[in-house]
Amino acid sequence: GTLIKPGSKPPTTPVKLKKVSTFQEFESNTSDAWDLGDDDDELLAIAAENLNTEVVMETAHKVIQNHKKQVESAELENSCMQRSQSLPQTSTPPLVSGMADYNTSVTPALTEREASRLDKFKQLLAGPNTDLEELRKLSWSGIPKRVRPIAWKLLSGYLPANVDRRESTLQRKRKEYFAFVEQYYDSRNDENHQDTYRQIHIDIPRMSPEVLRLQPKVTEIFERILFIWAIRHPASGYVQGINDLVTPFFIVFVCEYIEEEVVENFDVSSLPEEVLQNIEADSYWCMSKLLDGIQDNYTFAQPGIQKKVKMLEELVSRIDEQVHRHLDQHEVKYLQFAFRWMNNLLMREVPLRCTIRLWDTYQSEPEGFSHFHLYVCAAFLVRWRKEILEEKDFQELLIFLQNLPTVHWGNEEISVLLAEAYRLKFAFADAPNHYKK
Amino acid sequence: MQKHNQKEHLYKLLVIGDLGVGKTSIIKRYVHQNFSPHYRATIGVDFALKVLSWDAETVVRLQLWDIAGQERFGNMTRVYYREAMGAFIVFDVTRPATFEAVTKWKEDLDSKLVLPNGKPVPTVLLANKCDQGIDVLMNNGIKMDQFCKENGFVGWFETSAKENININEASRCLVKHIIASESDPVQSIEPDIIKPHLNSSKIVSCSACFKS
Repeated sequence: GTLIKPGSKPPTTPVKLKKVSTFQEFESNTSDAWDLGDDDDELLAIAAENLNTEVVMETAHKVIQNHKKQVESAELENSCMQRSQSLPQTSTPPLVSGMADYNTSVTPALTEREASRLDKFKQLLAGPNTDLEELRKLSWSGIPKRVRPIAWKLLSGYLPANVDRRESTLQRKRKEYFAFVEQYYDSRNDENHQDTYRQIHIDIPRMSPEVLRLQPKVTEIFERILFIWAIRHPASGYVQGINDLVTPFFIVFVCEYIEEEVVENFDVSSLPEEVLQNIEADSYWCMSKLLDGIQDNYTFAQPGIQKKVKMLEELVSRIDEQVHRHLDQHEVKYLQFAFRWMNNLLMREVPLRCTIRLWDTYQSEPEGFSHFHLYVCAAFLVRWRKEILEEKDFQELLIFLQNLPTVHWGNEEISVLLAEAYRLKFAFADAPNHYKK
Repeated sequence: MQKHNQKEHLYKLLVIGDLGVGKTSIIKRYVHQNFSPHYRATIGVDFALKVLSWDAETVVRLQLWDIAGQERFGNMTRVYYREAMGAFIVFDVTRPATFEAVTKWKEDLDSKLVLPNGKPVPTVLLANKCDQGIDVLMNNGIKMDQFCKENGFVGWFETSAKENININEASRCLVKHIIASESDPVQSIEPDIIKPHLNSSKIVSCSACFKS
């Protein structure tokens, strides 16, 4: 059978708690995604036992070879692309170009393909019932910018597949969100909530340096979204890093309402109040859906992250022993660089346009944010093997790993990364029996 | 180029304190000689390296560990603290709550880390953002001296990363104490106190205890 069981861990309620008389009340006031089982630990243990080193090494070797070829060809293409845009700041690829659109301008041959892809999306989305399985398949390799807002809302489970029910769902959820705001937001200066609010308030100007976030209107919206989420999820509350996770949704949903190609300099306050409210509520719900799947990343002591950093180490030791040994020799600990990779879902390591493209796939993968991300991180680390092996001391290694040169990254690099991650996932998780004996 | 008899020291220094007090800004100022009001919040830990010509015979390399201030990461600080030789604890003079947290940070540090000779690591207290003109805490230097004595700080400085005030001085003070502490008699074995926490599997199980 498959190792990953999509939907095997829906938010469940701890049985014991049900006996508490006020639980109903507690439940209605909160929406923590409780995680009962520790499936992942078990699964990892099973996987670890069943792996046969020889087969693993052979597969790993193939993967590395293949990856090398891909990287080399990608580098070739990129060096041509980057040369034309390396010097002037203004020629960096636009932030949310939808990458697909961006590429079409570089490689005319893609235009037709992209146009037909867009058509396929439109057909799927038109209904009357969108086939979500089909949408996931299509979205895995990237969603055209124009249909991304609706595709994300469907993929995240925020919108129903049935076209006729979508508008009423949106209205209901938006109303529900603003009822929360009504109910909770005034409590932000109360004694028991002021620390949460203050942390959020301090952190928002200290988010990724891109975009909009310094516009007062945007700050207000982010503060509300994050505060409401924190209050409704007391098991984790607000944790630094969660703030970054609002941005991709917010940017993508803003793009639904504007014509401008370049969103960086767009004045958000020029949008009608009602539109802004819709964007805010949609961002809140989609972010909530995402966080439901990774809440143990942010509960006390961040067990989800600790577990995943360990899994990453395990995985890298199998796919690239040389890199693993090199890090070990120089006493570099995975936690020292990969903590942030997990906590912020690589958002600090790649430009926002790349994160958005990455999320097209994460939302199409079963357990994309909680599990597939691990393979992406492994592929990401090994992507830098040459540079890593060249660094010969702890300081230089850490400084390199915390400042990876991805500023010019775009669609191409992310596609290579995702393909590599998929291969790893297939080799190490989906078919553990393959390695028996 | 290196002189024949030149000595080189490498020290790991921690920079800790509540979130938003300016830890990253202090390090950026110290290492890169610049300042921005918009540094991103540190997640986990950030690294920087500063090389000092200490005197004619000595080069000091400082490995600066900029540790995220949010308490959520608290139990993970253990992993980051190990083998540090000195520390800065930073607070923001404009926010009294960050000063109240100083003793908490100091206790956390001392409970998780001691020098090979069994003594606490030399720690300097930084009262940052002194350029802001809000001087609620600093109007009594004698009180601060007393506070440092009582809480085991080797010194304190009013600093400003923005205006580049006292950061070099604070660093020299810390390094001076580290060098002095190194000449103390050293025990051959690391004290057990930090050992049980060195491997990360232990941490996972520890966190489970905290949960109950």
